[in-house]
Amino acid sequence: MQPETQAVHLAHHFPSLRTQEQAARLGMWLFLATEVLLFGALFTAYSLYRYLFPHAFEGASALMHTSWGTANTLVLITSSLTVALGIHEVSRGRNRRATLYLLATLAFAVAFLVIKYFEYSHHIHEGQLPGRFYSFAELQVAGASMFFTLYFLMTGLHGLHVLIGMGVLAFLTVQVWRGRYGPGYYTPVELGGLYWHLVDLIWIFLFPLLYLI
Amino acid sequence: MAHGTSAAGNEEAHHGAARYVVVWLALVVLTGATFVAWRVKLPEPWHLLVALFIAGAKALLVVLFFMHLWDHRGPSRLVLATSLVFVALLIGLVVADNATRFPLANPPRDGNYVRTGILPEPAPALPSLPEPPRVPGR
Amino acid sequence: MPPSPPPSEAVYNRPNYLTADRGVWSWLVTLDHKRIGVMYLVLTTIGFALGGLFALIIRLELLTPGPTIIDAQTYNRMFTLHGVVMIFLFMIPAIPGIFGNFLLPLMLGAQDVAFPRINLLTVYLYLLGAGIALWGMIHGGADTGWTFYTPYSTTTTTKVAPILLGAFILGLGSILTGINFIVTIHTLRAPGLTWMRLPLFVWAIYATSVIQVLATPVLGMTLLLVAIESVFGFGIFDPGRGGDPVLFQHLFWFYSHPAVYIMILPAMAVVSEVVQAFARKNMFGYKAVAYSSLGIAFVGFFTWGHHLFTSGQSAFNAGIFGILSMFVGLFTAIKVFNWTATLYKGAIQFSAPFVYFCGFLFFLVFGGMTGIALATVSLDVHWQDTYFVVAHFHFIMVGGTIMAFLAAVHYWWPKMFGRMYSERWALVAAGLIILGFNATFIPQFLLGNMGMPRRYYSFPERFWPLNVASTAGASLLAFGFLIVLVYLVVSLAWGRVAGPNPWDSRGYEWDTPSPPNKENFPGTPVITHGPHEYQDTEDGGAGSEVTHAA
Repeated sequence: MQPETQAVHLAHHFPSLRTQEQAARLGMWLFLATEVLLFGALFTAYSLYRYLFPHAFEGASALMHTSWGTANTLVLITSSLTVALGIHEVSRGRNRRATLYLLATLAFAVAFLVIKYFEYSHHIHEGQLPGRFYSFAELQVAGASMFFTLYFLMTGLHGLHVLIGMGVLAFLTVQVWRGRYGPGYYTPVELGGLYWHLVDLIWIFLFPLLYLI
Repeated sequence: MAHGTSAAGNEEAHHGAARYVVVWLALVVLTGATFVAWRVKLPEPWHLLVALFIAGAKALLVVLFFMHLWDHRGPSRLVLATSLVFVALLIGLVVADNATRFPLANPPRDGNYVRTGILPEPAPALPSLPEPPRVPGR
Repeated sequence: MPPSPPPSEAVYNRPNYLTADRGVWSWLVTLDHKRIGVMYLVLTTIGFALGGLFALIIRLELLTPGPTIIDAQTYNRMFTLHGVVMIFLFMIPAIPGIFGNFLLPLMLGAQDVAFPRINLLTVYLYLLGAGIALWGMIHGGADTGWTFYTPYSTTTTTKVAPILLGAFILGLGSILTGINFIVTIHTLRAPGLTWMRLPLFVWAIYATSVIQVLATPVLGMTLLLVAIESVFGFGIFDPGRGGDPVLFQHLFWFYSHPAVYIMILPAMAVVSEVVQAFARKNMFGYKAVAYSSLGIAFVGFFTWGHHLFTSGQSAFNAGIFGILSMFVGLFTAIKVFNWTATLYKGAIQFSAPFVYFCGFLFFLVFGGMTGIALATVSLDVHWQDTYFVVAHFHFIMVGGTIMAFLAAVHYWWPKMFGRMYSERWALVAAGLIILGFNATFIPQFLLGNMGMPRRYYSFPERFWPLNVASTAGASLLAFGFLIVLVYLVVSLAWGRVAGPNPWDSRGYEWDTPSPPNKENFPGTPVITHGPHEYQDTEDGGAGSEVTHAA
């Protein structure tokens, strides 16, 4: 990218592009902090109820498909790799390769959601549902339904963030493909990557807490 | 375009992509480790602590290298650290509340009654419950 | 010197931010932080009026022990909506939205905030959230209290969901404002403006923004859980399904206690500026005041359990929260001592903003001390859910924040609109407001101490006289606010032209014209001294020295 096109991206109220990008990055991190606190409320509920119902949670966690959970963990970790590589390629001006990496990230995201779909279907079929919908006969102790309430709420909110992340990444992929970003300016891709890594981070904690009790 | 420092000023422009692959490998290994640790079935609280420790290590790798906090000096590190501290605060004081309450002030749970000696045998499993009454707005 | 042009021309002859672009559309899509501040002024004033209307209905109902003008169901809705509207449509957005937006870039030597489009978005989020909540109000509204305690909030059939959704959206706006301000302060300070030269207004707004970012998401999640619970009945707060209703209270107050610091810190921000300008003296103990803002922001997060003293929380937790709740008072005390010390040997200008400051100081101290008393668990057991608590927080919120809000409006009115209001009417109104405030809320301390519960529709006859006194005071208060509104609006067309700096204040923002131009600064200002330096001028007080680099 030539300096002239960089000037296209510089907003009038910023003294330099560098300042603008630092501001964008700080702003994104502040937003990620709000997401941490948002999920933090659910992690709080989880911590409390796991403390109150340790055996019920253990029993309910045994009903989870740990292999699928592990697969999903590997899927998201790899998607973080591909998005990081994609951003790296944009910073080097190799937008074709970057587009492929970003598409790979989207593919992994789809895979994640597909696996989740199968998991949800299974739980619904077995009656392992939140609260008053819980009807799984083999585990009828206090706290069992609470596990599934938290499971569906936490993975549901996480899944919503996966969807939003996919939307953001899809938009950025198109822009990268069109050559809108390059070595002189690729901040939006970087910010989109940060959001995607957060999605991965949340799952890194959800996985052991839900599947590996 | 000057080499080394792009207008973005990203210090990580100096390193190659290999760093990401190495981190990814470490993450895969740690995922395996946490799976193995689960199978080993350590006694509590170690079971939970090991799982959280490994998750924390994975998170640290993602944050430092994929999200570039290793390279970016500045307030972003403090922002993330602060958010984590406050989540820990919330969880800590909430669990501390229920942990230090008079036991019967907690939601009813199996075995709760036996511990306090009110019932001589374990309480039966809870039956499925009716709908909570919908209170019409008054 | 050319003859001065007629007042209307003097103000509006050159294009300022108000006149530079014409038409409603230019306002609807503006990215100018100054216009956004004005829009917040209009919107939050309407919110305040609406919340005040609910308050008047409450006070009218409490004129007699039995039914007076409404029935019990409606009464419950009135106090719920009074709380929701006042807090989410006024107390939280007003000072940051109006004065934070208007002044931050001017005080920092910046052309705008870091993210102007997000800034505009917050105005629309305010409108959307307020609109949805209003729709819910028109269709009956919630009767749960603004605190939405479970299990009632999850089982009532009144329109809780739109109120929750409205609050959620307003919270999102609050978060975005906080992010915007933090980034602006970090990245857009003019050359030479070090952290230790920042106006104290900026420090306190920064601390407020930190709280907004950290606390509001928890509220969002909690309200969402209540909405999910009331629709689906998953049982996350239902003991019958293993849930704990007190968990809701923990999550709710984790936000809502820091929220009261979101409401008071901007007021303290204003006060720091007004004290220096109207005593014509630097702040005594600048660093202490600056750091105490951060202290309030952080330590304020450690105190939420004092709202749960009588809810079934453990005694262990109650002890921790009680001590920490007293500790957080230290930071306010630091500020009060420093503000007072600043007045000592100052050249005090006793005009409207300063009068409001005086009210602020007395009411904040008195209300704050009752807060420390309430933090004592053994006392709170008697006062919890009585009018003592109501009086305490109204002393801080009305006696504190609203006094400071009025001080801000009067101090920066000439800056924002280029006009002076009638000083005589301003003093009359200030007197009425302070008098009316005392008459409204001191009886409530007495009532609470005598045992009158809050949120009760009826009361025993022995509480009757004090309730009448409180309602009379509320009428005076409302009248005072009305007078303020009238003379301020009148001043827009007929007020004396203010000139760039009618107070001769040394704050950075007074170096710009009044009203400022659309573009804040012709070049990048270079700051060479601290704000409000009154003691060191050789030029006899002509203004602070700010050189402009091209």
